[in-house]
Amino acid sequence: MRIINRNPSRLTNFYLGLLPFAVTAAAYMIASHYRRLDNPSDKLLPSIGDMGASFYRMAFVPDRRSGDLLLWIDTADSLWRLGFGMALATLFALSIGLMIGFIPHARSALAPYIATFSLIPPVTVLPILFIIFGLGEAAKIALIVIGTAPVMTRATAQAVMDIPRELIIKAETLGASVLQMLFRVVLPQTLPRLITSLRLALAPAWIFLISAEAIASTTGLGYRIFLVRRYLAMDIILPYVVWITLLAFIIDRLLRWLSRRAFPWDHLEGDSL
Amino acid sequence: MLKRLFRCLCVASVVALPLAQTPALAEEKSDFKVCWSIYVGWMPWGYLQDSGIMKKWADKYGINVEIVQINDYVESINQYTAGAYDGCSMTNMDALSIPAGGGVETTALIVGDYSNGNDGIVLKDKSALADIKGQNVNLVELSVSHYLLARALDSVGLSEKDVTVVNTSDADMVAAYATADVTSVVTWNPLLSEIAAQPNANPVFDSSGIPGEIIDIMMVNTETLKDNPAFGKALVGAWYEVLELMASGTAEGKKALEEMAAASGTDLAGYEAQLGTTRMFYTPADAVAFTKSADLPKTMKFVAEFLFDKGILGEGAPSPEFVGVAFPDGSTYGDTNNVKLRFDTSYMQMAAEGAM
Amino acid sequence: MSDVLISVRNVSKAYGETLVLERVNLDVESETFCTIVGASGCGKSTFLRMLLSQERPTGGTIKIANEPIADEPTPDRGIVFQRYSVFSHLTVEGNLLLATEFQHAPLTGRLMGKARASALEAIEDTLEKIGLSSARKRYPAQLSGGMQQRLAIAQALLKKPKILLLDEPFGALDPGIRSDMHALLRQLWKELGMTIFMVTHDIHEAFKLGTRMLVFDKVRHDPHQPDAFGATITYDLSLKDDNTNAPEADELFPARPDQTKGPLT
Repeated sequence: MRIINRNPSRLTNFYLGLLPFAVTAAAYMIASHYRRLDNPSDKLLPSIGDMGASFYRMAFVPDRRSGDLLLWIDTADSLWRLGFGMALATLFALSIGLMIGFIPHARSALAPYIATFSLIPPVTVLPILFIIFGLGEAAKIALIVIGTAPVMTRATAQAVMDIPRELIIKAETLGASVLQMLFRVVLPQTLPRLITSLRLALAPAWIFLISAEAIASTTGLGYRIFLVRRYLAMDIILPYVVWITLLAFIIDRLLRWLSRRAFPWDHLEGDSL
Repeated sequence: MLKRLFRCLCVASVVALPLAQTPALAEEKSDFKVCWSIYVGWMPWGYLQDSGIMKKWADKYGINVEIVQINDYVESINQYTAGAYDGCSMTNMDALSIPAGGGVETTALIVGDYSNGNDGIVLKDKSALADIKGQNVNLVELSVSHYLLARALDSVGLSEKDVTVVNTSDADMVAAYATADVTSVVTWNPLLSEIAAQPNANPVFDSSGIPGEIIDIMMVNTETLKDNPAFGKALVGAWYEVLELMASGTAEGKKALEEMAAASGTDLAGYEAQLGTTRMFYTPADAVAFTKSADLPKTMKFVAEFLFDKGILGEGAPSPEFVGVAFPDGSTYGDTNNVKLRFDTSYMQMAAEGAM
Repeated sequence: MSDVLISVRNVSKAYGETLVLERVNLDVESETFCTIVGASGCGKSTFLRMLLSQERPTGGTIKIANEPIADEPTPDRGIVFQRYSVFSHLTVEGNLLLATEFQHAPLTGRLMGKARASALEAIEDTLEKIGLSSARKRYPAQLSGGMQQRLAIAQALLKKPKILLLDEPFGALDPGIRSDMHALLRQLWKELGMTIFMVTHDIHEAFKLGTRMLVFDKVRHDPHQPDAFGATITYDLSLKDDNTNAPEADELFPARPDQTKGPLT
């Protein structure tokens, strides 16, 4: 049989998925082993045990200076910033995106502006953000919003424009006002796409969060990573990276679950990823 | 199944190969790389490479030395610690916490200068150091700025518990100072003079208050140096040729200073102002005398205690004396069985005696 | 004979340089079942969209009951499209409730509680008639093509339009299901006394259902500039219910040298 027609069994499927992870872990352990043969306290590639111990220390042993459990404080603060920023970005994307997609005059006025704005790398205008938002939480959240909202807005506007024109015409023949069409046709047809764009925007949002926390902060996952990088504590950085990846994965799956739960009609015809 | 496992391991080893390369396999070699980052006292390193003086000295000893500028100071130290470079310019404090704390035995080859006002504390609208109590202090956490703050607070009977340290990237320090919620910063030059020049800025403490404690050094891998004395000789010889030129007051010396000024993004006047707050050891004899002085062990004790207090003196360090530091007279601070940082004046001494 | 409901005078439609329709003249009385056939791209759907006010004529006038046609779609004209005719995000029930909700909840278009319950009761008959009672909680994607179009027709009739427009409504359905749909449509037309315009590419369907059949085609041709002339009504046939003396397709669409045979599928 040709390779395109050979489907893995469920078990093979599982092990094939695991394989690249296993190869990466094995590569790490081999490299780490040889480095530590040379220098037992090598900081670049610590042993899995060292990393586990450090992670345990961050999660369950109160910090010597502040008495806090650092991992949970960092996680809570980072998630709060990420959540608040993404909520604002989503709200912005929804309101402006609906207008651009649905109302031709709003499209003329706003679409080129948003398209231009979305191309500005936000980190390049940081000093201006500092002056406007200060150095506290507001600036970090603003960086996330500015980094993700324009692209999400464009995706939302496109989703509105992708609604079959037939549905809008039909609503008009059923006597709907503009507001009613917005609430009963455009909004529900757009929300699943909005969640998709939110899921895609989470990757850049994490990047902006980490860079914002690297700039000026007292807590946060990004803060900790950049702080301990000062003494090359990869035994803390690597578990933190895994932890962030895990959090991002869980958030992504939760959003997918939410979309399936809230918009079952959008997942009836073969949805994958 | 076993065969498959074996194949996976093969793939894994290939992937792992570049990472597994370790620093300084004890051997004689002929190609060396050192790295540095932009700082007033380290600008000669760039000039060494560009002017060909390094090449001249390397040729004399039959080796190749490449001097690489790295834009990020911490990254340059991390690269050195990970084994990508044979030497790197850094402060005494970072040498103790990063390479020495990470088990990479390191030798202070060229003690270049100490900060004599290059690091400082600036308060907005307040004029006395004691006013810092209760404020947010923006600085690069765990850097020499942090150490300077700890020493400054100590001098007025305060401790770090009396302030809130906000980790702030050095790249954004000047922009941060311009915002309303930043009221005090600790930083280094040229950022320090930039911030101190603002109308509401009051410098309240600087490193001239703790002279000789923040030392800028060319650190090299101890084993590499032991197996390749030529490497040490070439670096030291080249370095002091340039420093002599800088101090000479000749037209050629002025030209060298101008080039260094341009490379650090300022002009001759600006660079000379920065040199004014830097105690450069222009002659090897000066550097040897400083390194051999009885103050250095005291300084390293302060530094080790600071690092231990911050929890960054090596993995699971039980006390400040966990990492040993050896001094030129053979004395040590800390664990004599775990000496990872050595102050060695023998190469500078050779230069002082003109024996290069 | 009833009054003229729709009157079309000298209507043309162009997209840029391309003339699609020209010199279209037509009077249609109330309660006519008017079927429209023609080759692909002859402008029959364009004509239907102009009757819906989805598009506006480039030249000429359309009047409905002696008034100029509204310049956007309104509830007095219902529409069934071949695809995307029902709301994919609403269940069968939701699709049928929507018109009532638009009427009684001016701001949000959503009824709650008692109002919703009584609106649900009101659609019970309709659900029964179109045979979707047991599928009321399903989404359109979970319905067969025939069920979807039955729902679409029922939905289009909710506002009791004077005119029902159908754009190839059964084009995607199987032949068996299609004839069931024909029966349903004939029945509704007789019961409700409305005027129907139905675009189809199936000439047998056009003969079977219509009381009047319009054929759109190009009468003038410039082989060097195929876009220079538009189509118009070339045949306008009044059909008896038995349709015995109907002309053959070849007669309606004479073969032309520049056109491959078989405009009808």
